[in-house]
Amino acid sequence: MSRYLPFLQAAPLFLILAVFLLVPMAMLVVVSFYDYDSFSLIPDFVLTNYRDVFSSWVTWQTYLKTVWFAALTWAITLGLGFWLAYFLAFVVRDPGWRMLLFVLTTVPFWTSNLIRMIAWIPFLGRNGILNNALIKAGAIDRPLEFLLFSDFAVILALVHLYTLFMVVPIFNTMMRIDRQLLEAARDAGAGFWQALWFIILPLCKPGIGIGSIFVVVLVMGDFATVRLMSGGQSASVGLMISNQIGLMQYPAAAANAVVLLAMVLLLVGAMLRMIDIRKEL
Amino acid sequence: MRPDVELIKVTKRYGTTAAVDAISLEIPSGSYCCLLGPSGCGKTSTLRMIAGHESISDGDILLAGRNVTELAPAERGTAMMFQSYALFPHLTALENIAFGLRMRGVGKAERLARASEYLRLVQLEAMAERLPAQLSGGQQQRVALARALITRPKVLLLDEPLSALDPFLRTRMREELKRLQRELGITFIHVTHGQEEAMALSDLAVVMDHGRIAQAAPPRHIFERPASAFVARFIGGHNVLDLPEGRFAIRTDRTTLSPPPGGARLSGRVTAVEYQGTAVRVVVQAANGQSAEALLPDHLFHAAPVAPGEAATLGWDTAAAHRLPAPTPA
Amino acid sequence: MTNSNKTALSRTSWSRRSLLALSGAALGSGAVSGFPTIWAQNIKDVTLRQIGTGVSGLNPIAEQVKKDLGFNLQLTVSDTDAVAQRAATQARSFDIADIEYFSIKKVYPTGAVQPIDTGRIKLMDKIVPIFTTGRLTPDGQMGQGTSPFSVGFVNSKGAKGFAGQRTELMTLLPTIYNADTLGIRPDLVGRPIARWKDLLDPAFKGRAAILNIPGIGIMDAAMVAESAGIVKYGDKGNMTRAEIDKTIAFLIDAKRSGQFRAFWKTFDESVNLMASGEVVIQSMWSPAVAAVRSRGIACTYQPLTEGYRAWGSGLGIMRHVSGLQLDAAYEYLNWYLSGWVGAFLNRQGYYSAVLETAQQNMSENEWGYWMEGKPATASIMSPDGREMEKAGAVRDGGSFTERMGKVVCWNSVMNEDRYMVQKWNEFIAA
Repeated sequence: MSRYLPFLQAAPLFLILAVFLLVPMAMLVVVSFYDYDSFSLIPDFVLTNYRDVFSSWVTWQTYLKTVWFAALTWAITLGLGFWLAYFLAFVVRDPGWRMLLFVLTTVPFWTSNLIRMIAWIPFLGRNGILNNALIKAGAIDRPLEFLLFSDFAVILALVHLYTLFMVVPIFNTMMRIDRQLLEAARDAGAGFWQALWFIILPLCKPGIGIGSIFVVVLVMGDFATVRLMSGGQSASVGLMISNQIGLMQYPAAAANAVVLLAMVLLLVGAMLRMIDIRKEL
Repeated sequence: MRPDVELIKVTKRYGTTAAVDAISLEIPSGSYCCLLGPSGCGKTSTLRMIAGHESISDGDILLAGRNVTELAPAERGTAMMFQSYALFPHLTALENIAFGLRMRGVGKAERLARASEYLRLVQLEAMAERLPAQLSGGQQQRVALARALITRPKVLLLDEPLSALDPFLRTRMREELKRLQRELGITFIHVTHGQEEAMALSDLAVVMDHGRIAQAAPPRHIFERPASAFVARFIGGHNVLDLPEGRFAIRTDRTTLSPPPGGARLSGRVTAVEYQGTAVRVVVQAANGQSAEALLPDHLFHAAPVAPGEAATLGWDTAAAHRLPAPTPA
Repeated sequence: MTNSNKTALSRTSWSRRSLLALSGAALGSGAVSGFPTIWAQNIKDVTLRQIGTGVSGLNPIAEQVKKDLGFNLQLTVSDTDAVAQRAATQARSFDIADIEYFSIKKVYPTGAVQPIDTGRIKLMDKIVPIFTTGRLTPDGQMGQGTSPFSVGFVNSKGAKGFAGQRTELMTLLPTIYNADTLGIRPDLVGRPIARWKDLLDPAFKGRAAILNIPGIGIMDAAMVAESAGIVKYGDKGNMTRAEIDKTIAFLIDAKRSGQFRAFWKTFDESVNLMASGEVVIQSMWSPAVAAVRSRGIACTYQPLTEGYRAWGSGLGIMRHVSGLQLDAAYEYLNWYLSGWVGAFLNRQGYYSAVLETAQQNMSENEWGYWMEGKPATASIMSPDGREMEKAGAVRDGGSFTERMGKVVCWNSVMNEDRYMVQKWNEFIAA
């Protein structure tokens, strides 16, 4: 009996994972090989869904665009997130202030995603607050059109949404850095940038890794932000899948989901290779 | 000889309270100096100001005759060994030691070769590729020491370096620090709250209290002629007694249970007897509430033992009584 | 609803329910007992679960059902695509599907919905002929695409295909429909708009939008392309691959040249685009125009020379519904045609399936404004009591017959649906 006890103890979790993760995933893979018409799914084993994914320039372009969104958002949130975390962890000395400012970084999450995105319209729009202010200030004489319903707007909204996911883990690793290490570095002759590069950055790697995984995975799967902020003019893989589901083209959506999943897993795998996240856990 | 380190009215204020209050001190070249005192006395702040990790509110610090008050830590010719060692956890022992050279732009081959020498100096050649987490506390400390020494500082600053070690290791490390200091011939400034450590190591012991220097002198001088009741009490081994003639510090090992003729005495009851191996400590409380103790060689004690509750008289040679400044009326 | 209206209703053939309610009240006083009252008590426990779009999934309707019929109508609201999807895949979770005719073309063959016995629909013959003969008037045009008539009837209970003619078995009971056109900001377009092709006018570069629901968007695009003489279609509602290619190619050109500001997908998005002035001409739905206008912003639902694109939806009964629940479902269907809902929907700018009963529930002013294209004689109020139009206003596009008579195509599912969607996605990704 006692030999089986550990298995028994692990069973509930295993069951939950099996029922809610493994089985749906298996179904996803199975359905991706189904055939379909306008009306129904046809259980079968066909490769057409995958052929559609790989043979169409539009899917290639959509995948590239998605990766591009993810890469750009990642780079910007990393830059922003690192310095925000640095400011919170090293510049702000008072714990009360630090807590307050940290809570302030979560402000974007106090409203729903949809409302947040709709709120960009009066701000960035042709007759929006920003354009009006710039015109009034004499910086421009015609409204800037690219501010809204553009890739710029998509990236802006994604950065606005996901910077927090970068700040939190990096801030967390930074708070764990012994302040004496920085004094030791200074003592050994390291300037600000040297201490940053040789000490803080390597020690923040797990936080950067976790933040990167968050951001990349979230952006790769996003469809609402891309649709709303580009005014429906840009595509992402998530949006493509969402469209296909809407049109009951489940096998096509499943095939895309499988490809996207494989891609995200590869990316996460590569990131885990570079950074040992277990240090953080 | 020109002093290596000179503090001139150095003050550190946090808000309105002065952690270090206008202290002046000269530390001779090539000496082992211990800053000693209870926690909160300002010894660590003083060390950190010398290192350049703490700004100086007022006053000046001179190192080798050069005013370094405004200089960055690495420009002062000092190096610091931190209390928790502060080894970089992502670098190997060798890389940790080479770090200072790396910051100074020394090429990789050269800095690793020199780091290896210092690793040998602290007898850790075999541990070169280990990360700090894979080293014992004592080994970590040696790496920290080597890291501090590799930049060839004129002054090495040590912040309670032995406090994290077990007593056995502490004694060995103490010897090693002293040996290194002698061999390298540079000034060590060592912060400690242990009087035993200070006595064992220092050429110059600086006892601090409430941000001021209570006494700065060679340890023998301090032990034999403590400048105040605080110093006498802090370094231990003394009875501080208010006698009709004034306030005195009398060494406990010069106090006996068989008062010498013509000597001073204190009668009362034994309140504690502590066996300490080579000696026995006997505490006696007088009727007026003053308490004193005698540290008796064990053979003397066992020749005429006393037990708690018994009446006893402590006595000492008047020459052994060291007069202290009168207590300032409160 | 006034008392006199209620009596007027009772005179129509659905009055059994009112009688039952009366006898139920009588039971309360302990006077009568017997079969009908037991039945009436039972039906109180019946709940019909309905899935539909926000267009008609409205709480006032559910409340009125409870009041008039005594049972519960539980509404689940979702968007057009999701409704069709859930009706097809989660059929057992619902009893009634309120879906569009072009969706039923996909959903019915899955077997999720059971045919409706027209013999049990009391006002069957009063339903607007668009649904029963395919034409508004005997000499009217049929309209291209998935017209309600083409998918409205089946030959037998087990049939997967549609009859294409009137039979005794209906797929959906028609409830609500409308004629769609372009919405414009008359204050910002700066010139009269008369044709679908005006959407492509370079003057509106970066200020035009179309909707990104492929089945509907492609129809608007086809109206534009045909109007501009770019493509000539055999049947816009059932394009060939070549026609789809040409339509998408012209859309991509327009997109690349920066004609479009956005592609919208939800009602709210279309309202925001128009109200903020980001867009001055776009595909739009009638209540969205009303929503822009209710903010005090000028917005016209512009009638166009080429005619309207229309849509319609209806109520389907899920295959699993039977027994008492099925009786309740028929009761509900009959009630839907009996006038109260018709008036309720007509007041929002939609059209109801049986006009006669709706008229009995509307004031003369309301009927004149909404259905006859007459200037309002007094303020026109929305169902929730806000003023929509002032006295003197005339409905854009005019009367029911003027608007529904000019329908040239219906929202569609094409045979080349899969290909069309793929190409549509190329357009969005381009």
